[in-house]
Amino acid sequence: MSVQHRKSSALTLATMLLLLLVIVGCSNTGSADKSSSAASDQTSTKSITMSWPRDIGTMNPHTYNPSQLFAQSMLYEPLISYQKDGKLEPALAESWTISDDGKVYTFKLRQGVKFSDGTPFNAEIVKKNFDAVMKNKDTHSWLGIVGVLDKTEVVDDQTFRLTLTEPYYPVLQDLSVVRPFRFLGEAGFPDDGDTSQGIKEPVGTGPWMLADYKQDEYAVFKRNPNYWGTAPKVDQITVKIIPDGETRVLAFEKGDLDLIYGEGVISLDAFQQLRDNDEYVTQLSDPVGTRSLLLNSSNPKLSDVRVRMALQQGFNKQAMVEGVTSGLEEPADTVLSKNYPYTNVDLEPITYDVEKSKALLDEAGWKLPAGGTVREKDGQQLDFEMIFDKTDPIQKAMAETIQAEWSELGVKVNLTGLELTVQIKRLKANDFDLYFWYNYGAPYDPHSFINVVASPGFGISETLSALPMKKELDDQVHAALSSTDETKRQELYGSILKTLQEQSAIVPISYIKKTAVYQKKISNFIFPANRDENPFVGIELGNQ
Amino acid sequence: MIGYIGKRMIAIIPIVFIATLVTFALIHISPVDPAEAYLTAAHIYPTPELLAQKRHEFGLDQPLLTQYADTIQKIAKLDFGTSYLTNKPVWDEVKLRLPATAELAFWSMLLSALVSIPLGILAAVYKNSWIDMVSRAISYIGASIPQFWLGYLLIFFFSVKLDWLPVEGRGSWENLVLPTVTLSMILIAVYTRLLRSSVLEQLQETYVKYARTRGIRERVIMLKHVLKIAISPLITGMGMSMGKLLTGTIIVEQVFSWPGFGRYFVDAIFNRDIPVIQCYVFLAACLFIVCNLLVDLVQLVMDPRISAKGRAEH
Repeated sequence: MSVQHRKSSALTLATMLLLLLVIVGCSNTGSADKSSSAASDQTSTKSITMSWPRDIGTMNPHTYNPSQLFAQSMLYEPLISYQKDGKLEPALAESWTISDDGKVYTFKLRQGVKFSDGTPFNAEIVKKNFDAVMKNKDTHSWLGIVGVLDKTEVVDDQTFRLTLTEPYYPVLQDLSVVRPFRFLGEAGFPDDGDTSQGIKEPVGTGPWMLADYKQDEYAVFKRNPNYWGTAPKVDQITVKIIPDGETRVLAFEKGDLDLIYGEGVISLDAFQQLRDNDEYVTQLSDPVGTRSLLLNSSNPKLSDVRVRMALQQGFNKQAMVEGVTSGLEEPADTVLSKNYPYTNVDLEPITYDVEKSKALLDEAGWKLPAGGTVREKDGQQLDFEMIFDKTDPIQKAMAETIQAEWSELGVKVNLTGLELTVQIKRLKANDFDLYFWYNYGAPYDPHSFINVVASPGFGISETLSALPMKKELDDQVHAALSSTDETKRQELYGSILKTLQEQSAIVPISYIKKTAVYQKKISNFIFPANRDENPFVGIELGNQ
Repeated sequence: MIGYIGKRMIAIIPIVFIATLVTFALIHISPVDPAEAYLTAAHIYPTPELLAQKRHEFGLDQPLLTQYADTIQKIAKLDFGTSYLTNKPVWDEVKLRLPATAELAFWSMLLSALVSIPLGILAAVYKNSWIDMVSRAISYIGASIPQFWLGYLLIFFFSVKLDWLPVEGRGSWENLVLPTVTLSMILIAVYTRLLRSSVLEQLQETYVKYARTRGIRERVIMLKHVLKIAISPLITGMGMSMGKLLTGTIIVEQVFSWPGFGRYFVDAIFNRDIPVIQCYVFLAACLFIVCNLLVDLVQLVMDPRISAKGRAEH
């Protein structure tokens, strides 16, 4: 080998080695991992491992994304807790009184509550938290109470008072939501008190404490030794971050996970497959929200109630929901399911009847031309654009089913799959004919639902804009939200829901449910009544 | 040589400039307002006041030119700003995730080289033999099987059924095996075929015939002469794959819950997290250029007939 050649070979080798060193050097800096500690902790007797699609986030009680609601609710508690069927129960507030004019709320705080670092929970810290939230009022303006909150006061060590600018009945419901009105301990506050920019450490009064965390990989929650309530039965919850649904199922089948729960965390096929396996336990929750189809009445063709009614009657909801969701969702007769307050109202379901549907369209003047397949009126075809989230397989399948069923009626539907953000944008701009929409669930509904019925900007008020009684509907909504009279409020809700049912502009399709799959060693798993809360407190572990 | 490297490094500037311009234009053509995407992702209802406030905060209410100039200025200072989503400095977030992707890229590259180099050579030398058939089958499978599916299959057999390896996560060497194999399959498929055809081509050359006539042993001909030239396209291919692997092995990271850069970037796209997208584009451009340069340098060293001057003039 010539000198020249030897030199070049050496240089090649050196270049390759350098490249390798750079890369390995890079990779070593981050690989000092703790997942082995997380893994070894799992072997302790009272520990369960679950997965979540996203990292748990910064665990700031007063901010939103990327913090995950279920994790925030493990650490931080509300004054009032939302329970089954909308019952409000004492949490950090032991009792409360509301002034006759509905503007002053006085809360008696629970005695002997401590934060996880041992510091006391009192009216001072409650006020400090409220003030930190209200400092960034704009960020939280979506929550009704924020718009009407006038004053916060410390009456004495255990008494805290809120004063509103005007009566607003869902104050207690708004205080039960997971964010932003939950309580961070003194040690967690930044020096300037502005929690919107970050917190020092996640200190709460909840049953759990964050014990170990590696961003994007895992989070380990341990029991809070200072917890005031009934201590959880398990010592530890490990949350593995697994973004992919199929991988989550495989990890569960291998036994790496004890529990998978949530909304849409695994595909319906996978859920079905796990449900058919006797080795595992599966559960479906009560309805957490309604999948509806908006028929935009501001579109002249859809402004006629006969057309809207014909469309609702013109597809087999029962068959579609069973076919598309394998029976995991329940066909919906009303826009709000009956497990919310004020919604247990007798409403006439609008049932599947093709003949009636065709007759209604004829009556509305939309006739099938001889030899034609699409109905026409004044030279116009009865056609609509249905927009759907192209990443959502259920929406896509439902859109295709409805398209096929309506074509039998002589109604043409053009499908447009969109990215979710674009879809929402078009809803808000009132730029759609047909749109899949979901209500907010507990504890936000039914008050958030009626609020969007009357408030422009959310897309729903616009959908209803051509209803002849829209003005009356809006007045009823405002009266219901500010009424201090329970009976009156129930009457108003009844009337609002009846009008919406008869007008058929929001077509209920199905009730969405949360799914849970777990290993047999877990027992007493109960879905939380609050859509965003965690289900861990009651869980027990067998000896398997 | 140093002048050549310097020139190539300077070429990064216009390329990054164009890349950021295209990204900037694409973000602004997109029908989704980043401020609105941010609020929607945070489950905050975007009231007009809130939208205006966020747009102001993100600098989106400035004229486009000002926004672009500001972006370029910041990138020049290697300041990538703060993520809209996490409120943390983008560079810190990237630093946290890049090593995980680099680790995966390195081992995948190593495994594919270790398999494809001998396989490619043997397939060429023993053309149409059983080893050639095997290499063809591996290449066929590797090139045609979708990565996510291969990932699931490997997890199913080696983790769930045989219980040999973990399903997901990062940490020990065991976690590395399945994602590395998944990523390597396609690389092995491409490299093996590349090397096979390039060795076959060289074996037809007259210098091989002369060498054989001179009685030089086959092994010597192969290792000292043929391979040195035949490996050149493979090195180009590997350099290009390196850039690709380092800028994100998105699907594999998703399937194996690998906390890498690709996953972070996909989230950023969905959330229109502009600072993150811009940082990604910058890094991608730099990485591709550097990998390209390294390939050229290695080839230059291996084959001095390619002059640095000639290369620089290309």
